[in-house]
Amino acid sequence: MNKKVLFIIPAFNEEANILKAVQSIHQENAEWDILVINDGSTDQTGQICKDHQIPVINLVMNLGIGGAVQTGYIYAHRHHYDIAIQFDGDGQHEISSVYDLIQPILDDKADFVIGSRFIDKKRDNFQSSSLRRIGIRIISAFIWVLSGKPVLDPTSGFRAANKKVIEFFATYYPTEFPEPESNLMLNRKKFRTQEIYARMHERQGGTSSIRTWISAYYMINVCFSLVVTSLRKLD
Amino acid sequence: MMPIKLKIEIILFSLVMIGLIINLVRHNRITIKYSLVWMFAIVGIFISALIPGFLPVVANLLGFELMSNMIFTIMIGILIFVMMILTIIVSGQKEKIRILTQEVSLLKDRIK
Repeated sequence: MNKKVLFIIPAFNEEANILKAVQSIHQENAEWDILVINDGSTDQTGQICKDHQIPVINLVMNLGIGGAVQTGYIYAHRHHYDIAIQFDGDGQHEISSVYDLIQPILDDKADFVIGSRFIDKKRDNFQSSSLRRIGIRIISAFIWVLSGKPVLDPTSGFRAANKKVIEFFATYYPTEFPEPESNLMLNRKKFRTQEIYARMHERQGGTSSIRTWISAYYMINVCFSLVVTSLRKLD
Repeated sequence: MMPIKLKIEIILFSLVMIGLIINLVRHNRITIKYSLVWMFAIVGIFISALIPGFLPVVANLLGFELMSNMIFTIMIGILIFVMMILTIIVSGQKEKIRILTQEVSLLKDRIK
């Protein structure tokens, strides 16, 4: 495969997991490029990357998952990558799923592919608590109503983008609730999105700061934000 | 019992404000979070003005003699609150700009 691939790894205080996550990618395919976005970590995340010569952008300020990931997309755009993959720095994403993730892009059947936990319910997988599942279902329903296309795992941070989506995200990427909002934006701009099944693990160490959604409050927030986002002009 | 003229004016006001905010959102000139805050405020005004008997009851509850006094007081209270929040936000932004200025300046020195 002669396509330029970049793994965007947003990391906030992931000193316990970042090395393992990065090494799993290296071991799988040494030609894949990696870029860790150190979102103003206060622990040794930045130092670990430096010590192991892992390409890293150390953000001068904490921007949150939205700003951090967008930094990765800006980098991918400026360096003319063909495919950008969002990969968590906490070890939750399974590297073996990457091939299924990028295949639709290589076949030019999709612009954007989401690694979804919920595509095939029978498979043994880490499923979040049922309360979360209900929340995710509601968010899915909102995206469906507001854009006409359903997204089964709108909070998944395991995604792959082609050049067109990279360019789009480099300009328009939501700061609040980035995953559901970006899915909505892509659907409204008529990008071809596909969902494939991807294995995900329990968080292995450290604390999950990004994407901690527990309350109904969060969910109500997301739904309202989605409605407002659907009004935005994205030209 | 609110005169019909007032009710119409409130409805028009609310619609204009909502339209304004939707326009701001469309052109990405306002963050989603703040647009929601304003929309809720306007809906609140809309509803409380139009539910018959709602405002007089609240005025009574809060000990106001005149309904208009209550409305003014509440509005002023909300404005003060919003100003406070804006002050906090602006202070945070000032700090962030300072950090960015320093980083860029040091970077420029490193590059040359």
